[in-house]
Order: sequence, then C-alpha cells, then structure tokens
Amino acid sequence: MKALLLKDFYVLWKQMKAFLVLILLFSALPGSYNAIFAVTYAAMLPYSCVAYDERSKWDQLAAMMPYSNRDLVLSRYILGWIAGAGACLLSLLLQEGFTLILHQDVYPDTLIASFFVCLSTLAITLPLIFRFGVERGRLIMFLIIFLVCGSAGALSGIADSLSGTLPAPVWLIVPLSLVLTALSIPLSLRWYTLRRR
Amino acid sequence: MNAIALNHICKSFGSFAIQDLTLEVPEGTICGLVGENGAGKSTTIRLLMNALRPDSGTATVLGVDTSSPEFLAVKEDIGVVLDEAYFPEVLSAAQVGKVMAKTYRRWDDAVYQSYLDRFQLPQKKAFKDYSRGMRMKLAIAVAMSHAPRLLVLDEATAGLDPIIRDQVLEIFNDFTRSDNHSILISSHILSDLEKLCDYIAFLHQGRLLFCDEKDALLDGYGIFIGTAEQADSLDPDAVVARESQGYGGVRCLVRRSAVPATLTLERPTVEDIILFLVKGVKSV
Repeated sequence: MKALLLKDFYVLWKQMKAFLVLILLFSALPGSYNAIFAVTYAAMLPYSCVAYDERSKWDQLAAMMPYSNRDLVLSRYILGWIAGAGACLLSLLLQEGFTLILHQDVYPDTLIASFFVCLSTLAITLPLIFRFGVERGRLIMFLIIFLVCGSAGALSGIADSLSGTLPAPVWLIVPLSLVLTALSIPLSLRWYTLRRR
Repeated sequence: MNAIALNHICKSFGSFAIQDLTLEVPEGTICGLVGENGAGKSTTIRLLMNALRPDSGTATVLGVDTSSPEFLAVKEDIGVVLDEAYFPEVLSAAQVGKVMAKTYRRWDDAVYQSYLDRFQLPQKKAFKDYSRGMRMKLAIAVAMSHAPRLLVLDEATAGLDPIIRDQVLEIFNDFTRSDNHSILISSHILSDLEKLCDYIAFLHQGRLLFCDEKDALLDGYGIFIGTAEQADSLDPDAVVARESQGYGGVRCLVRRSAVPATLTLERPTVEDIILFLVKGVKSV
C-alpha cells in the first residue's frame, strides 16, 4: 500500500505543484466558491493517476508484483482522501492568512462540508473508473466534472446566502458520504477483479 | 520440485484461445518459450502469474497454487520483466528504487545500485526519456534486486544491443548457478535461447507443440540437404518438414531415429527446428 501511494505521489508531483498554486490562488480570491472548488477538485487527482498508469501499462506490471487487488483499489481512495483533506486544510490556513490582508470572510464549515462532497464524488465515480478504465470512461469524467462544479457551486451559494453558516440538512452529506464510501469500496474491488479477468 | 507447473490450462478470448496447456519447468533450469507473435507466450506468462484466471486447469508456481491467497507472498520470490508493461513514465530510476523498496520485503538497494551502474542507467532521468533498451535494463535491474528464486522474462533481451544482450544473458546464466533458481524466458531471438536454455517449449496458435530438453531436441533432429529425388526416397514419417532450395535441391528436417544412421545430416539449430515446424511444409 505504502509503495503504491509513494508511486502515486511521484506521479502527481508535477501536477501537485500546479495544484498547490491553484489552491493558493483560489483561496486568495474573494467568495467561497473558489476555495470549495479547490477542495472538491482534489477528488479528481486519483483519476490522473489511473490515466498515467494506463498510459504506461503500469497496471499490467503491478499485477505481476506482490500487490493485492485490495491494496490496488484502496490506495486510490486513500490518495483521494489525503488530497481532499490536504486541500481543505491548506485552503483553511490560506484563507485565515488572507483574511488579515484582504479582510475577506472565512467559511470553515463550508470547507469541511466540501471535503465530504469530495468523499462522495470519489465514492460515486471510482467504481465506474475501475469498471471501465479512463479511456472508455470519458463520460464518467463529465460526471465527475459536473459533480465537482455543481457541488462547489451549490455549497458556495448556500454559504454565501447564509454568511457561512450551513443549514442542518446540508450536514447529511457527512453520513451520506460515509455510507456511499462503505458501499463503493467493495463494489470497486469486485469490478476491478472482474476487469482484470 | 517444479518451479512452474501448468496443468491442462485453457483460456479463451473468443478469436484466440490457449488450449490444454501443460508445461513443467523443473527447479534449477532455464526454459525458453518460443512462438510467433500472437502464439500465446505473454498470455501464458499472465496466466502463470495469476494476472489472468484460466477457464479451466491449474497452475502451480514454486509449489503454490497460483489461485490461492498464499500466492501473493510467493510473488516476492519472482522477478518479472514484461515486454510492454513499464514503470510510470514520470518516475526516475532512483524513484523506482524507492517504490520497489516498499514493495519487496527483501529489496536490496546495494544490488539495485550496482545494476544501475553496470547498465549505466542515469538515476534522475525520467523513465519516458529512456530508450527501449534502457527501459528493459531498468526492468531487469528491478527483477534481480529482490533476491528472486524464479525469473519470468517476456522478451527481456529485445531492444538491447548485442554487447549488453550478451552481458544480460551472462547475468541470467549466473542466476541459475544456484540450484533452486529457475528462469522462464520468452524470446524471438532464438540464438539467445539456444545459448541459455536447458528446455525449449514451443507454442503455436495457443497450443504447446512440445517442451523438450534442448540437447535432446537438437540430437533428435537432423537437416538433410540433397536433391528432391533423394528426399522422396526417405521414409515419409521421418521427414518433419521440407523446403525448396532452388535448382531441384531441397532441405528437410528429419527425425534422426527414423533415418539410416549412415545418412549424412547436418546438426540443426533451435531456429532451424522452429522455422521448419512453423512452416510445416512437407512437400514443395
């Protein structure tokens, strides 16, 4: 598992640098949408890794190495969770910092809710990627983009209209994302195993 | 004990199928897997590494059933080099080493570094900027650096220049000096296999036509060169395949046991035998 995460980290490093700049920019811009977009965008990083791996046929080589299917699947989720949580924390810190200079509002609740939107996006789309792959799953990419932009827009709209305090029903995203993740991982494992056969 | 034992393996992909494949590679030996493109060599390798599940039949590697959960631990003992599957292209050799150190429990970084030096591979250069030969050398360095007992090599010498190829064959030869070390190698370069292998297995259209000891194979066949009339006078069962040489001359692959001992025959190479068998031309 550690090996797979390290490999993904190396693969994403160049992209991560651009991503960090993006978070820095989004966090500095006024309005909650940009920071929320940065967090939910983090959910897309595992797909970049899958695409890179398919292009280099790493998945075929990995099938010969002592990695279990469980590790190969779970590492994608963990990468998405780490990226989402990292982006959330970084956005929060940067927004706090920028508040002192730019006197803009900080919405920590919204950023935390956006992390759970990130979890839900991963839970919905990763099984489809494991089933069809990135090449055949272009339609899934549209679904991901729609989920990312739509969720960021919806959350920021609610947050802005209520000055950062999210209404109670929005917090249903927490149990929903956990249930979706609990269902998603076994489904991904099953579809990944089927695809390899 | 057999390092590899495939027992009546069948796997169908619709237009292509591996059919009733039974193959044994004794421990401590090198087996060369030969066949045209699309004969099923890479599929066989994927089947024995449990990267593909057979429709029927069983596979055992280093004494463990490949479909059992225990096989995952056995993969620690197997070094694999694949023809067309590579490391992620943005990784450098140094990064590949760090990833592999967390992959294999017996990873030996000193051995890996020695191979990188020996193959003159740059540490920092991204994998995508490597030539095909450099990619194969890196894959070989990785395969040799976690103390494997079995090497599974799919076209591992392809793309290497003759000097490095010779060096790599020597590395493989040294590897099998230990009694419990074995190699299964597929290659189109039949002269490499002739130099290296103890056994030759020949796959043709998904079927294993034979798996014999190399010396027995070379001793069992002979090349007859003569006129068409002379060839016609040979026992038809002795002639495996025959080709025209022009001007009425023919060249035949014959079974030594089925022709008179006094008949002058040339000793064939593995390449001669395989080419004759693939062509399968008995009459011109």
